[in-house]
Amino acid sequence: MEFGFTTAAYVVAAVLFILSLGGLSNQESAKRAVWYGIVGMALAVFATLVGPGSGLWLLSLLLIVGGGLIGQYVAQRVQMTEMPQLVAAMHSLVGLAAVFVGFNAHFEIGNVAQVMAIADSAKEADLSDLGAFAKLIAKKTSAELAILHVELFLGIFIGAITFTGSVIAYGKLAGKVSSAATKLPGGHALNAAAAGLSLICLIWYASSGGLFPLILMTLAALFIGYHLIMGIGGADMPVVVSMLNSYSGWAAAAIGFSMGNDLLIVVGALVGSSGAILSYIMCKAMNRHFVSVILGGFGGPQGEQMAVEGEQIAIEADGVAAALNDADSVVIIPGYGMAVAQAQQSVSELVRKLRANGKNVRFAIHPVAGRLPGHMNVLLAEAKVPYDIVLEMDEINDDFPETDVAIVIGSNDIVNPAAQDDPNSPIAGMPVLECWKAKQVFVSKRGQGTGYSGIENPLFFKENTRMFYGDAKQSLDKLLPMID
Amino acid sequence: MKIGTPKEVLDGENRVAMTPDSAVQLQKLGYDCAIEKGAGHAAGFSDEAYEAAGVEIVKTAASLWKNSDIIAKVRIPTEAEMKRLTKDKTLISFFNPAGNAEGMELAKSKGANVIAMEMVPRISRAQKMDALSSMANIAGYRAVIEAGNNFGRFFTGQVTAAGKVPPAKVLIVGAGVAGLAAIGTSTSLGAITYAFDVRPEVAEQVESMGAEFVYLDFEEDQQDGAATGGYASVQSEEFRNAQLAKFRELAPEIDIVITTALIPNREAPELWTKDMVESMKPGSVIVDLAAEKGGNCKLTVADEKIVTDNGVTIIGYTDFPSRMAAQSSSLYATNIRHMMTDLTPEKDGQINHDMEDDVIRGATVTHEGEITFPPPPPKIQAIAAQPKVEIKELTPEEKRAQEIAAFKAQTKQQFTLLGVGGALMLLVGLVAPASFMQHFIVFVLAIFIGFQVIWGVAHSLHTPLMAITNAISSIIIVGALMQIGSGSFLVILLAALSVFMAGINIVGGFLVTRRMLAMFQKS
Repeated sequence: MEFGFTTAAYVVAAVLFILSLGGLSNQESAKRAVWYGIVGMALAVFATLVGPGSGLWLLSLLLIVGGGLIGQYVAQRVQMTEMPQLVAAMHSLVGLAAVFVGFNAHFEIGNVAQVMAIADSAKEADLSDLGAFAKLIAKKTSAELAILHVELFLGIFIGAITFTGSVIAYGKLAGKVSSAATKLPGGHALNAAAAGLSLICLIWYASSGGLFPLILMTLAALFIGYHLIMGIGGADMPVVVSMLNSYSGWAAAAIGFSMGNDLLIVVGALVGSSGAILSYIMCKAMNRHFVSVILGGFGGPQGEQMAVEGEQIAIEADGVAAALNDADSVVIIPGYGMAVAQAQQSVSELVRKLRANGKNVRFAIHPVAGRLPGHMNVLLAEAKVPYDIVLEMDEINDDFPETDVAIVIGSNDIVNPAAQDDPNSPIAGMPVLECWKAKQVFVSKRGQGTGYSGIENPLFFKENTRMFYGDAKQSLDKLLPMID
Repeated sequence: MKIGTPKEVLDGENRVAMTPDSAVQLQKLGYDCAIEKGAGHAAGFSDEAYEAAGVEIVKTAASLWKNSDIIAKVRIPTEAEMKRLTKDKTLISFFNPAGNAEGMELAKSKGANVIAMEMVPRISRAQKMDALSSMANIAGYRAVIEAGNNFGRFFTGQVTAAGKVPPAKVLIVGAGVAGLAAIGTSTSLGAITYAFDVRPEVAEQVESMGAEFVYLDFEEDQQDGAATGGYASVQSEEFRNAQLAKFRELAPEIDIVITTALIPNREAPELWTKDMVESMKPGSVIVDLAAEKGGNCKLTVADEKIVTDNGVTIIGYTDFPSRMAAQSSSLYATNIRHMMTDLTPEKDGQINHDMEDDVIRGATVTHEGEITFPPPPPKIQAIAAQPKVEIKELTPEEKRAQEIAAFKAQTKQQFTLLGVGGALMLLVGLVAPASFMQHFIVFVLAIFIGFQVIWGVAHSLHTPLMAITNAISSIIIVGALMQIGSGSFLVILLAALSVFMAGINIVGGFLVTRRMLAMFQKS
């Protein structure tokens, strides 16, 4: 079929992808938006398969169907609490694919050069047994070839970082790799050295076009991806995952340049900017600089932290139940602990009971609650909590003084008053949910520890705070029968 | 060990340091309890009630002091009482150590341990034994009730068939525990309540109780009350003048004034001057809770109610808690009981006088023949609320000027960005071939669209957004498909692998997104 048809299909697909992302602005249109994305993708694949010069379409179809079956199996099996791991794992696939495609482009350049060397001039060269991409390369001038080298180099570089980075992020989120920030001796100097090596390889490769600098750079990039993400603590995972999301987009865009394919460029740029914005939103929610997150460890002022006075006062389920039965307005603040304990169903049941008694029950979601942007929303949705009572931090923060009971379930830093009161706290200035302004606060927590980030939380020592110790799910299940 | 409570010897003191309820709790700590005959009578606790709670009734004060190891009482002990102390006895009572040097000397010479209830440090852990707070709470409540008793009108405003009644206006000076209790009582009776305090950080507490905080027009960094353990301290002359000017302005409108301003170990500051009293309406009432320390109003006569020439009633009682003896005894007895709980960590009926403990150390004034007053500052300071930075209201012109400046800055920034970006673009264009630039245009436009579109995505849909962008980033499959037709086996292999992986991603990504979105439901 003609080249014109393929291009036309790409235009439609690109529009569909944009509509698909734009449709996520609210829950209802989002359901339609997925279909736009699916149709766009199907169209793009179909147009490429029937497009000029593609071969082995039967094999391609078989592979897509085979991959699709695995994808379907995984998508149906995955638990909602495991969503962060899944997303990270999928990023790694895109990264690896980008590396392969980049290498292919390099090999094709070599093949074309060989064929052209055998024939006397490009016009007479027999390119018929090479693919569509090869024909494209053959038309290029030497300046274009030089740019092509840079493009595919970048594609492989970003792809390789995405690949190992995502694998490590997956390991950390799935608990297979220690979530603590660990660095090899040498720290960031190692990363800088690897990056420098890659830069040298780029110059080398651009001038020689040999395979060796490309492989060397790939190894360096794989190392950067590994070491960079190893050095980032578990609490910063939302930023890491969205950053890797962004990288996978930029890798696709770079490959798109080297293939001369506008659809790849458009989609890569869309995904890249989406991930970048998400990272920005996450960083802002933690009042951290992107650079300091990426370089690992807490930045900001260091000094004597305010001593916490008072004691943590424990309470049993009957006390919590009594307070809940008396309350008119309740705000629930879920965190990663709820996901870990798989307590979302019990929370949902509690909410259902309280709402049946005519109480005003709402959820307050901090932007970085959980390990993935929007993680809590998805978990609550899974447990059939209606989304219109699930509110963002800015929407609900002013309502706490009128709230009778605030229940903190497995979150810590996002409700830490030290962020506002103590200029020396590592999280000073981070926007937090001001749940301590509620008349009573119950904190469901496993024990007296300081939790993920190791920062003492004065909330637990406040006079209107009671600690409801124990696994979140068991505690809530104990509580449920006592609510009337 | 045995805890004994004598009858209070001071005339008019109705309280008692042990109630039947607290005795039951003390026995759970392993102590035996004893009480002097009739000690609880004035507070409404009969000897039978004590007996029923397992308390031994002792006929005379002398034998009670003799046989008890721990003596709990309310008022500062008299000299005669102090002389009954012996070595190894512990006395728990109000003691006023700062003004009771003789008492301490006497206790020292007797070798007895004395715990002064007013010295309990003001930290959260010690609140349960903070007798000053529990007594102040009662005093604040009673002050309003007492004022109402002497005030000839309603507190609340009413429109009745028999005419309209304006609401009473109440000013409460000093928003400590007593002040806050008075505010609560006054607002719940329906009066319009104003409150003032030298510590601006309590404005929030005042407003939370339903009163209006009286702000001064005073340009000085007001001192942080929390630095002095939550108590007010002495003010500068200018501040005092500003404060008096404000009161002078308010005085003619106010019906009831309740002053509660005390500075630890000092004479009460004069806040309500003679001329303010004179400018008040006849029938107005002043309750001076600082009467014991000289009064916030100098016309106040301690322990008496007087009426001035212009018909203003000034109440200077110093025994408000004693006037509600049943309530105050039960609160005070509970404070004592909590103190005993801290003194008896083993619950074995034996005192463990731990001088390392901040609370116990702070309250102890004599210990094993040593005077241990004043105590060292507590290790933990009350946490200070950060002073709120007042945001200055801007005039419309200033606002306008700011907006223009911000707009100019933004324009400038955008121009620089565009200029630099454009210049870079042109530089690239000089070297890069035309085919590259065509793709580049597409790339830049796509980034712009991406930025515009993604900002609109709902917060709660960020996880689906990541899943869907993940799915569509497998568009890289298109690149692999273009290469798979190549002649080289290696290329075909790598391309095939890429197609396979992208296939997983496409189907997995879209399905998982759909699964998530299907879960979002409206209620």
